[in-house]
Amino acid sequence: MEWTRKDLLSLYDLSAEEITFLLDTAEEFKKVSERNVKKVPALRGKTVVNLFVEPSTRTRVSFELAEQRLSADIVNMQASSSSLLKGETLLDTVRNIESLQVDLIVMRHSAPGAQAFIAKHLKCGVVNAGDGAHSHPTQALLDIFTMREKKGALKDLKVTIVGDILHSRVARSNMWGLLKLGAKVTLAGPSTLVPREFEAAGVRVCHNLKDAVQDADVVNLLRIQHERQSAGFFPSTGEYAKFFGLNRQNLRWMKPDVLVMHPGPINRDVELTSEVADGPNSVILEQVTNGLAVRMAVLFLVAGCVKK
Amino acid sequence: MTLKKQLYSPEEMTAAISMIAAAIRRDFDTDGSVPYALVGLYNQGVPLAERICDEIERATGRRPEHGRLDISMYRDDVGLRSGLPLIRETVIPFNIDGHKIILVDDVLSSGRTIRAALDAITDYGRPNMIRLAVLVDRGDPEYPIRADYVGFKLDLDPAHKVAVQFDEDGDEAGIFEVNWQQKPLNR
Repeated sequence: MEWTRKDLLSLYDLSAEEITFLLDTAEEFKKVSERNVKKVPALRGKTVVNLFVEPSTRTRVSFELAEQRLSADIVNMQASSSSLLKGETLLDTVRNIESLQVDLIVMRHSAPGAQAFIAKHLKCGVVNAGDGAHSHPTQALLDIFTMREKKGALKDLKVTIVGDILHSRVARSNMWGLLKLGAKVTLAGPSTLVPREFEAAGVRVCHNLKDAVQDADVVNLLRIQHERQSAGFFPSTGEYAKFFGLNRQNLRWMKPDVLVMHPGPINRDVELTSEVADGPNSVILEQVTNGLAVRMAVLFLVAGCVKK
Repeated sequence: MTLKKQLYSPEEMTAAISMIAAAIRRDFDTDGSVPYALVGLYNQGVPLAERICDEIERATGRRPEHGRLDISMYRDDVGLRSGLPLIRETVIPFNIDGHKIILVDDVLSSGRTIRAALDAITDYGRPNMIRLAVLVDRGDPEYPIRADYVGFKLDLDPAHKVAVQFDEDGDEAGIFEVNWQQKPLNR
């Protein structure tokens, strides 16, 4: 096949073949960062705007570094310093950006579908760096890339995602991507945060940690945001940690070669203890490394399909 | 409609590859003390480099070091193509620094692929010298790039394509002229 999309909006839109194509491309880009010369001229002369309407540090830094290693020119815009605060509409903002002959916009926004909306109106490419609780395709791609690298085939791989599924774009993107590639997905956490409605997508929903993880090949932990506690989704982070946190004791329930993953930033002693986070099953820092490769691949492919 | 005409038979192609291998051996393999390596460019430069290595090995008993190079990240036509093909694996299993490198491609046409390959290979290290071997030289370069080892020089209609095929792909082996822009006549 050939890659023909100028936007990356959601893994739900992609075929299994397209997802595999992205992962294969990322493998070659991973090697670029392992060379002495960690840069290629693939996007030389192209301009990328990182428009982060919702704050982000690690995703933005990863995108920025990916863009630099592809030789693109970069402009960073944040909501706090943009004219969105002066009342300009999102569409006017991005049309103004496009009028500066920009080739790609990487956008994070709190409104689900914001990237799909602007992509419809722009000739330049759009990459979704997270939209509300809807989608975070590059995070899911780097998670899946890491699983494939460590476990080989994704078909029938048992992946359990633990945490605040309800509010998580990472969980949704992982779920769609993994289902397309034939993995078996379990969503686990307190019943307030893991509604049964997800079963309609073809996943297993589980409210007991032991049941959820004991035959898993991969356990992907989501960050628990403290503000969910005040909203009443669970009584306390201490109670969450007691029932759903990974520690040395409950790691014994699991397969000896289980992969422990986390998109970061981790809350030590909430989602997992330091023994697990820094232990031999953890691939959390490798996920960060792979994120760079995946984002280079995404930017390279979509930029190649933006028409001059 | 695509018109395809054989320009050279598999036997003629094999003879040309032997000739290139002999010339490389003469220049680089005289006493075995100079480290040199062949680097094939995807697609067809890769099997061609293997064939040249086969010939050198047959004559000397030693297989030269060799690698494979994908130049997708170094192309100058981002946004000019309709879609992007999959990047193939670059394999350089030796230290480029101080090596004499012979780039191998099937057809030298505009020279743009070779320009990209020069950028790519020098990102892997600092070669002592770079040379170029091609099976077919179309003689119409857009860049000032010439090959050092040439199987066939051809003067063809610029709209026509040259296809080098090896039997290992399940294709009919040989060198072909392809008129891929030929449109059926409207009567």
